Amino acid sequence: MTRDRMWRRLLIAMFVAVVAFTGYHAARTVSDAIYWNAHRDEPIKRWMTIGYVAHSYHVPPHVLHRALNLPPAPDRRPLGRIAQDTGQTMTQIDGKLTYAIVHARPPYPPPAPPSRSSPPTSAKP
Amino acid sequence: MTDQLLELLTTYGLPALFGAMVLAAAGLPFPSSLTLIAMGSFVAQGELSFWPVVLSGAGGAVLGDQIGYAFGRYGGRPLLAAVTTRIGGADKVAQAETYSRKWAGWGIFFSRWLIGPLGPWINVTSGLTQYPWGWFILLDVAGELLWLLIYVSLGRQFSDQVQTVASLLGNLTWVVVGLLAAGFLGWKLFGKRKAEVTSEVTV
Repeated sequence: MTRDRMWRRLLIAMFVAVVAFTGYHAARTVSDAIYWNAHRDEPIKRWMTIGYVAHSYHVPPHVLHRALNLPPAPDRRPLGRIAQDTGQTMTQIDGKLTYAIVHARPPYPPPAPPSRSSPPTSAKP
Repeated sequence: MTDQLLELLTTYGLPALFGAMVLAAAGLPFPSSLTLIAMGSFVAQGELSFWPVVLSGAGGAVLGDQIGYAFGRYGGRPLLAAVTTRIGGADKVAQAETYSRKWAGWGIFFSRWLIGPLGPWINVTSGLTQYPWGWFILLDVAGELLWLLIYVSLGRQFSDQVQTVASLLGNLTWVVVGLLAAGFLGWKLFGKRKAEVTSEVTV
């Protein structure tokens, strides 16, 4: 009887743990879906190729090739390999790409205001 | 770590995909769903072709599954026999085997694509309980092909948000696994209670 009770308590504890686990992942699924829907930029990782970053960030690849001082020909190396080959860290590569992406995107250079003609303000990279 | 592994895949393409799938199916922790979705994205960008990716990935996964099955059958079974002769419990093992034979088919098929994290375990238990190998490989090939088709297609479709899609699918998979486990435990709890109630009534 006591053994049955212990067994039952264990089952209940497991049940609660599993429900909590499921709830946690359900919440994360929802947050992923929101993130996905908002189409936010994904962090640049070392396994990505220049082609993938250009595709993901919707910028022309030649912009990124130029940012890394590479010839505009298709380069299938992952960024980690490019970093290694050119003696840079991933942080440097990431910084250069992000800077180039920010400067290649539609809000940049900012559209001139219709009435007054002020020079485009320089945005931070 | 994940990024370094994925970097190897981006560098070496299909042979690396095959190898990674073998290891992942055999139970090594490897971000296989992110890999497949990334491969789908490379297909969308025209760097890889769809069917070679699907076939080499599924081929690797099926091979890896056989490793788990063989491990259970030729390594685990003698070990289990040795343990049961020493400390008993052969009847319990036989009971588990009957149970497993009844449900293993579904388990094998769904753990290939819907509840992937359980895959390596089910391979070993299938071998351990001597689930017929012919059926195992049939369900295995069908399930792995389905997995590759779904994940590579999703990667191809949503090729610019690989990490988000992979994270979403990963969490969704754990929700399914969690719901199954909660359902099973709940059923056990309710079943127990019902059994107790009926026994009390009869007594």
